[in-house]
Amino acid sequence: MSEYNKPLPNINGDSREFWTGCREHELRFQKCKACGHVRWPPSIICPMCYSKETQWIVAGGKGKIYTFVVYHVAYHPGFEKDLPYVVADVELEEGPRLLTNIVGCWPDEVKCEMLVEVTWEDITEEFSLPKFRPYW
Amino acid sequence: MGLKDKYAIVGIGYTPQGRVPDRTSLSFHLEACVNAIADAGLRREDIDGLICYRFFPPASNEGPVTPYLVAQHLGLSPTYLSQDANCSRSHIQHAVGVLEAGLCNYVLLSYGHNAFSSDSMRRMLMERNTDDAVFGHFGAVAGYSLAAQRAMHTFRTGPETWKHIAVGQRKWANLNPVATMYDRPMTFEDYYNARWIVEPFRLFDTCLMTDGGRAIVITSAERACDLKHPPVLIMGVGQHDPSNDVHQATHLAGPTGAKKASEMALKMAGITLKEIDACEIYDCFTYTVEITLQDYGFFGPGEGEEWFRDGKIEPGGRMPVNTSGGQLSEGYYMGLTPLSEAAMQLMGRCGERQLGQTTNTKSPEIILCSDNGGILQTHSCIVLRRS
Repeated sequence: MSEYNKPLPNINGDSREFWTGCREHELRFQKCKACGHVRWPPSIICPMCYSKETQWIVAGGKGKIYTFVVYHVAYHPGFEKDLPYVVADVELEEGPRLLTNIVGCWPDEVKCEMLVEVTWEDITEEFSLPKFRPYW
Repeated sequence: MGLKDKYAIVGIGYTPQGRVPDRTSLSFHLEACVNAIADAGLRREDIDGLICYRFFPPASNEGPVTPYLVAQHLGLSPTYLSQDANCSRSHIQHAVGVLEAGLCNYVLLSYGHNAFSSDSMRRMLMERNTDDAVFGHFGAVAGYSLAAQRAMHTFRTGPETWKHIAVGQRKWANLNPVATMYDRPMTFEDYYNARWIVEPFRLFDTCLMTDGGRAIVITSAERACDLKHPPVLIMGVGQHDPSNDVHQATHLAGPTGAKKASEMALKMAGITLKEIDACEIYDCFTYTVEITLQDYGFFGPGEGEEWFRDGKIEPGGRMPVNTSGGQLSEGYYMGLTPLSEAAMQLMGRCGERQLGQTTNTKSPEIILCSDNGGILQTHSCIVLRRS
C-alpha cells in the first residue's frame, strides 16, 4: 500500500470518530440525543436543537444517489489514471448525505436516485474510504 | 423603503483583460481603482471607503492581496475597509450600509486577479481544506455541476437549455471590443463539440479565467449629481444565503437564494419583473443564469429552454442578458462583471452593444443584477435605474 498519491483525510476533533470508524469499515454518524437528528458533517452542536448530547450510530451503508458528476479533468495528478470518474452525493437511509465515489459500474450508467451500498477501499494502514456501488 | 434611490454608482474602472501576462493581482486592483476614481471625476482624497472582493490563494511569486495593500498603494487611509473571505457577496450592502450610517461618503469596490496567467487558481485547487479532495472532488466547476445534475433530475434542463445562454452571451461579447471572446463567434455546434470538463458541463458552460481588474465607486444620489456621469441609482437590494454546502444543500435545483433576494430587492424598488428592461446575471456557469432567472420568476421550473429560445437574451432579443458577454465571454470579476455592465448600459456608454436602438432592444430604464457565491450558498440581487 505504498505509493498512495491522492490526498488523505484531515483528522481533527470533529472528524476523528468518523475516520476511525472507516478504518473498521463502519460508517459512524452523530445522532442527537435530544431531538434524534442524524447529522453530517460531524460537529459539537446539533444544528436543529443546539443540544450537545450526542451518540454515535453506525449507518447500514445503503442509500441512493442524490446527485453526481463525471470528472473528465484531473485537478490533482493522483486522479489522472481514474478519468473519467464519478463523484456523487449519496443520501444514506439514516439521513446524512455523503460526498463519495461511485464504483463498480460505468460512469454513463450512473443516475440520480440509483440505489447504492457502501464498499470499502483500504488506501493506507490508517485509512479506508467509503465508496459506493449500485445494488439491485 | 428607506434606501430606494438614495445611493448610486458613479464611476467604473476597467483594465486590460483576458491574457495579460506578468501582471500581479495587486496591479489589476490598483489600475481598476484609479480608473474608477477618475471616471467618477473624483480625487483620491474623496475616497473614504474601500471594499475588496476576496483574494484567491496568490500566485507563488506574489503575496496575498489584502485591502491594506490596495489602500497603501492607492495612498488611501479610509474610514471603512473590508474584504470578504469566502465569496459571501454582500459588497453592495456593505457599501450602502456605511454610506447610510454616515461613516463614508465615497466607497470603492474592487476586484483584481491574474487568474489566467499565474498559478493562482491551480494553487487554490491543490490547497484543499476539506475531505472532498480525498474523493477527487475539487473546485467550483464540479460543485455547480452537482447542482446542475440535480436540476436535470428535478425538471427539464440540460445542455439544450444552456446552449442558448452560452451562445447568446457570446453574441454580446462579439459586439464588445474589450471582451475576451470579442472575435470568437460561437454556434450551437461549437457548444456541443467542446470538451467535457466535469459532466454535465462542457467547456463553454464555464466562465473564463481572466487576468484583469474592475472597480466601481458608490456615493449618495445627492453627491452623485455633481459628478461626471449621469448617476445610476440603486433602487433595491436583497440578499439570501442558504449557506449549506453542496453535500447537504436542498436548494441545488432551486429555489436558491435568488428567490428571496429578488423578492426583497423588487419590493424595495417598488417594481415587478414587468418593469425590467435587461438583466446582468452572475454567470459563473450557464446553469447559474438559468436557475437565477427561474428563481426570479421569469419562467417556471423546466420552462427555460422555451424561454431562452429564438434569441430572447441576445442582441435584438426581448430580454437582453449579460450584455458585455458576461463572465462566460467578457471577463470574470465576481459581482463586478454584472454591476459594471449594468451601470455602463444605464449611463449609455456601451457603443456597439448599447441597449436601445443600436441593438434593436428596449432602451434601458431599469436593469436587474445578481451576484452569487460559494456553490449557490449566497445570493445578492440589485435593481439599478437610470437617473
